Amino acid sequence: MKERISSHRWAATSWILLVIIVVFLAFRQGPAFDSSILALLPESEQQPVIQRAIDQMAERFSKRIILLVSAKNEETARTAIKSLAESLIVLPDISEVTWQINESETSKYQDELYPFRFSVIDETTRKLLLTEDYIQIKQRALHRLYSPISVGGSSIIEDPFGFFNELSLQRFSNLDLQVSDSLLKVVGAEQPSYMLIAALASDPFAPDVQHRVLETIAIQKHQLDKTAVSIDMSGMLLHAAAGANQASKEISTIGLGSLLGIIIAILCVFRRFKPLMLLLFTVSIGCISAAAVTMLVFDRVHLVTFAFGAGLVGVSIDYALHFLTERSVSPHNQIMRRLLPGLMLGLFSSVVAYAAQALAPFPGLRQMAVFSVVGLSASWLTVVLCLPLLTKQDPLKPLKAALTLDRLRKRIPRVEGNPLLMLLLLASSGIAIQALWNSSSLDDIRLLQTSPANLLAQEKRIQQALKTSSSSQFILITADSLEHCLQKEEQISIELNRLKENGQLNDYQALSQVLPSLQRQTENTILARQLYDQQLKPLYTIFNVSDKGLDTARLNFEQDVEQQLTPEVWQQHRGAKNWKDLIVLQSETSAATVIRFSGDLSHETKEQLVSLTDVDPEIFYVDQVQNISDLMGNYRGQILTWVIIAYLCVLLVLSLRYKTQVWRIVMPPFLASIFSLAILLQLEQGINLFHLMALILVLGIGLDMGIFLFETDEAAHTWLAVSLSTYTSLLAFGLLALSDTPVLHHFGLTVLLGLVFVWLLTPTARKNNRTDSQI
Amino acid sequence: MNRYLLFFLLLLSSASYAELTFKQLDNVSEAPEQLSGHFTQEKYLSALDTSLISTGLFYYHQGQMLQWKTLKPIQNELVMTPSAIINKQGDQELLRLDTNSNPIAGILSEIFFSALAAEWNNLAMYFELSGEINGKNWYAKLLPTDRTMAQVISLVELKGDTLLRELIFHEKSGDRTTIRFDRLNQ
Repeated sequence: MKERISSHRWAATSWILLVIIVVFLAFRQGPAFDSSILALLPESEQQPVIQRAIDQMAERFSKRIILLVSAKNEETARTAIKSLAESLIVLPDISEVTWQINESETSKYQDELYPFRFSVIDETTRKLLLTEDYIQIKQRALHRLYSPISVGGSSIIEDPFGFFNELSLQRFSNLDLQVSDSLLKVVGAEQPSYMLIAALASDPFAPDVQHRVLETIAIQKHQLDKTAVSIDMSGMLLHAAAGANQASKEISTIGLGSLLGIIIAILCVFRRFKPLMLLLFTVSIGCISAAAVTMLVFDRVHLVTFAFGAGLVGVSIDYALHFLTERSVSPHNQIMRRLLPGLMLGLFSSVVAYAAQALAPFPGLRQMAVFSVVGLSASWLTVVLCLPLLTKQDPLKPLKAALTLDRLRKRIPRVEGNPLLMLLLLASSGIAIQALWNSSSLDDIRLLQTSPANLLAQEKRIQQALKTSSSSQFILITADSLEHCLQKEEQISIELNRLKENGQLNDYQALSQVLPSLQRQTENTILARQLYDQQLKPLYTIFNVSDKGLDTARLNFEQDVEQQLTPEVWQQHRGAKNWKDLIVLQSETSAATVIRFSGDLSHETKEQLVSLTDVDPEIFYVDQVQNISDLMGNYRGQILTWVIIAYLCVLLVLSLRYKTQVWRIVMPPFLASIFSLAILLQLEQGINLFHLMALILVLGIGLDMGIFLFETDEAAHTWLAVSLSTYTSLLAFGLLALSDTPVLHHFGLTVLLGLVFVWLLTPTARKNNRTDSQI
Repeated sequence: MNRYLLFFLLLLSSASYAELTFKQLDNVSEAPEQLSGHFTQEKYLSALDTSLISTGLFYYHQGQMLQWKTLKPIQNELVMTPSAIINKQGDQELLRLDTNSNPIAGILSEIFFSALAAEWNNLAMYFELSGEINGKNWYAKLLPTDRTMAQVISLVELKGDTLLRELIFHEKSGDRTTIRFDRLNQ
């Protein structure tokens, strides 16, 4: 006997030691939180090159912050943007701030492209050349020369037809920005507005980076408030910070709220402090271990995991509650013998239920699965290993609350021998199943959106002001070389331009717009030569230019016409900076480029783009939003199948032990699930993946309830324990229904409904109405 | 002694030039509701060392538009509004430019508007003013302070009395555009 106790003590001590070591390791690594929607997203099933393009687009978005400063007058706006830029550039987390273009840069940009004016020709001029509409070209040249507001007439020798003039004109109008006194002024804004882009040097998810950058902006904002300057911001960092902020707020409100409710309930039932301390001890060990292991396994822990973890308090308290209520009626040496089978089955069913979550390819859900399985197991082990030792000296003391609750339970009618209730349940099930049968599902990525509306509105304003492109829809072009990519782009651009003319497409950015393929450049020079051969002399005659002038112009043309803009030369250009990221891949044997779109794409436009890209197996239309929504739907189906399989396994194991009586355990959670789903259908727009995930929890808790009750022959103190654990779970998860994060809200509401039903239905499946003499 | 003389002369010369302010210009010049007239434009092209001369009519309506009809040697019509520059031939619109997307053309058209309408405050945003007033006649020199502007334009000269009579754009390249207005009708 003594030996057993000492081995017990040894096991308990080593368990606690293990927990301490794991927590120490996790603490040393330091916590990193994640609130990005992307982190919640399923792992890609895409080809590597598509994934690479997706990553590159996302990276571009995640590492930049766009600020839009508006004020009543020019002067104030300019001063504000200057002071913002100066305060940001000194931060170590900011690698670059783009807010002004100095004059030398603009002229450099002009100079670097000028030599290629005969091979890089704008689209309009090219069309005129192709249709040999020389009259129009000549007219244009004349108008420019005689216009009172055109400058740069000196190019009459080097570029009499104004190729370069047209090119820079077209390049300029592609941007909705104007360079005004070297600053980036937004065109078409109601108030004078200027733009600033800050590039991050470090991880936008790191809390200290978020803090430093946002603090700096906040100070500036505070100072600028006096001058009625408004600042709109957009960038991943803001979403990340808002997410982290929301998470910590919700964890503290929801987590603390549930904890407080639980403490009050426990004190009311046990009327002593020790049981409360023991409960808190097991729950803390569970939560700490879960958090530590999750941090060690995953690079970053998502806020959703943590908020969900707050809810785990309610479930992990189950085991300790059962132990303590049982301990109130069983002596120290008998308790484990009585409890262990029930505890084992309870843990088994819960772990199976949570592990099913890990099958979802959503990193966020995997984290939750790991968090839950570890947390529950750790609490369970603490109860089994430590609680017997800690309660060795406690006296038996039956609980009054158990009797009160038992009386309440007996008022609930039993299904057996009550045809009316049976009929009622059957009818409700029928109606519920009918409703479910006709239901539609909702698999929308927006469910994963965790950002506050204010931030999304700011982002929308910036997108509208700048017509920036979205990062989630694009066309990917792959080929064996960059030259071939560009040629394919030029092919597809014909169709894209048509869509643009029809007003179906706002605008698009393709590399070939700034870097035509060499094939296209050769074509252009041939067209230009044709024009020179036929039209230079007639043009010069109008101006009375001497033959010497004509010769000079011809010579000049011959000198520059052979200049081709190769990708290598182009990449050295300053003007290439904003376009380089359209190249996804460039190696000796393969290349890939991306065509980006501006503005929102309509459903019809998307379909057109799909059919456009279907022609070539090396061209892909990628719609990340659609992909993920599709995947979510796909996995909703898959998870349903897996959960059913998991529960069939659980059912099998339970049947082996409980034989024909198994219905008493299975019926309540099963009916509760159907009823909750039917009600959710009425309350929310549709059933999604997260509702189903929450149902797993309901099933887990419901099965636990049935198992424990059956194992103790429906004793009053067990009913107290399961009622308390339902109450605590309701507090923990039900409060999640208040969350602003859609995912958590869905979870919370489902659990809230499900648990209420389980608690009400379980007594209807009880065996008999005898008064428990044992209490 | 010589140094003092030079200093004195500099002081004198700069005084006579710097005296002019936008406010003074406001006082001497009129801001007509509408204005029409004839123009002669001379574009000097340094590369060919030759001048292209054109003549035509213009019509101005305050704050709304400026119509610039070149009649000789080519027929062309330019309509400038505060937001756009439209190039017309007959009824056909050849080219429409958003003034915002083409900053230089935008600013130049704004100078036209401002100078014709005698709305001098608009010019203060882009230029530093110097010049002189002699009775009814004034002469203004505008040096660009806006850096985008300064890349192309080195100097703008304006001459007038109650109305604008002559305007010269000096480009950095050595080219210049001289426009003379006559037969003005308010």
